[in-house]
Amino acid sequence: MNMIEYRNVTKIYEDKTAALKNISLTIKKGEFVFLVGPSGSGKSTMIKLLIREIAVSAGAIFVAGRNICNLKQSRIPQLRRNIGSVFQDFKLLPNKTVFENVAFALEVIGKPSYVIKLQVPQVLKLVGLEHKLQSYPHQLSAGEQQRVSIARAFVNRPPILLADEPTGNLDPVTSEGIMKLLSRINLIGTTVAMATHDKNIVNSMRRRVIELEEGEIIRDQKRGVYGI
Amino acid sequence: MIFRPRYFFGETFIGMRRNFLMFFTAISTVAITLFIVGFFLIIVYDVQGVLTSIKSQVEVAVYLKDNITDELKVYLENEIKNWDEVDEVTFVSKDQALEKFKKDNEGSEILKEIQGNPLPASFEIKLTSPEKVEQIALRFVDKDGNYIEGVDEVIYGQNYVQKLFSITAIAGSIAFLIIIMLLLAAIVLVFNTIRLSIHARRKEIEVMKLVGATNWFVRIPFLFEGFFEGFAGSLISVVLLYFMSNYLLIRGEKAIVDTMHVKELAILGVNNVILYIYAGLVVLGGLVGLLSSSFALKRYIRV
Repeated sequence: MNMIEYRNVTKIYEDKTAALKNISLTIKKGEFVFLVGPSGSGKSTMIKLLIREIAVSAGAIFVAGRNICNLKQSRIPQLRRNIGSVFQDFKLLPNKTVFENVAFALEVIGKPSYVIKLQVPQVLKLVGLEHKLQSYPHQLSAGEQQRVSIARAFVNRPPILLADEPTGNLDPVTSEGIMKLLSRINLIGTTVAMATHDKNIVNSMRRRVIELEEGEIIRDQKRGVYGI
Repeated sequence: MIFRPRYFFGETFIGMRRNFLMFFTAISTVAITLFIVGFFLIIVYDVQGVLTSIKSQVEVAVYLKDNITDELKVYLENEIKNWDEVDEVTFVSKDQALEKFKKDNEGSEILKEIQGNPLPASFEIKLTSPEKVEQIALRFVDKDGNYIEGVDEVIYGQNYVQKLFSITAIAGSIAFLIIIMLLLAAIVLVFNTIRLSIHARRKEIEVMKLVGATNWFVRIPFLFEGFFEGFAGSLISVVLLYFMSNYLLIRGEKAIVDTMHVKELAILGVNNVILYIYAGLVVLGGLVGLLSSSFALKRYIRV
């Protein structure tokens, strides 16, 4: 079953730069996909399109068989609840504790507090931060902060997890830990798409690699490495 | 979306506690700006009261010749009473005038100099519409510019009254303009402060949208907060105004009464108009807070 499908997608920004040029691509349920390529090749655009942070200029994107391009504005929150997002800059709220940062994701989608009290410690245990519930983000290392942001993205058990350069700010050892975590999340059945620059990570994981250059897919390889 | 008051109120108050500085800034901005607006409104209202009471004291004094016949005197009195603009006519006889003069100048040297009764009898005319004082006075003058028979002189404070009325008119429109400008300044200031406080929390909004919060879910805590800031700020300004008008203004008014020798003033403090001003300020504060949040959010909510 196709979890994500890009069908002849073109994205032209307001300043007339073409970020994506007529790309087509399918990602199956439970797959782990790397999006690689130089800065400005269109990786982030692909991710932003998927959560409707921006809209396509032409073509269509399907998530779990539904065209998300003609989604009404009021249905977008529903789409985002099914897609967890992780970013290079973590996007944690500095004035909330670790527990509250993760709980926030459940609160804003209206989950009752008993569900929150149950699920948040569970997911924080999964990312190995069960002992730091009451810490604030500034009291954590960069790797720990990224774990919190992964916990927040995954606490709602979304079928899809998107990661935009999640290891971009981390050292190799810490990055490895993050990748193990993402692999584990993928093993539970979550479809994971990760945009990255990190050659070592891509090479060591041996997963599907999609390479972009100037808005076009120049390579799509089953068990690929960063460069040919 | 399920409405969950505990979450919304909780978020509002946690937000306010953790962003205390912004919160404090917003409330004090509302309090200070509305205090200035209210202060000015009360002063204007007060001055209007003073002017009205001064106006109501405008009188026309018609001094009669000593040789006036009783018939003519009665005729004049009846004639004056019939004019629409006249509220009250009092006849002051020569004897009453002298008595009053003696009373007003008790113990003074001047009393010894008086021989006989040099004071004229007079009509004191109170008007229903003080602005018409000049027209009334002119009725005692004939075509040639002389006073009519039996009348010696008519006094109504010619220059003083005219000036008073033109100053009142100008001051009224200037005050109106200033109030409008102060109100605009207050609204812009409050709006900017609230926008800044929302700008400071734009990350929070971004994250909320990313994890799939609906727009209303993002909006409601901010709207509560904006409303609360406006409401609390305006309440503070009203409390300050209350103390100010009760202690300072009333004292100031006594000073005006003493120095200007006016008989009476509208005694202020809390009356209906002042209460309306207070209520208006609180409603304005809450509304401006709510609307400012709502407008300021528009920019950040589209993630």
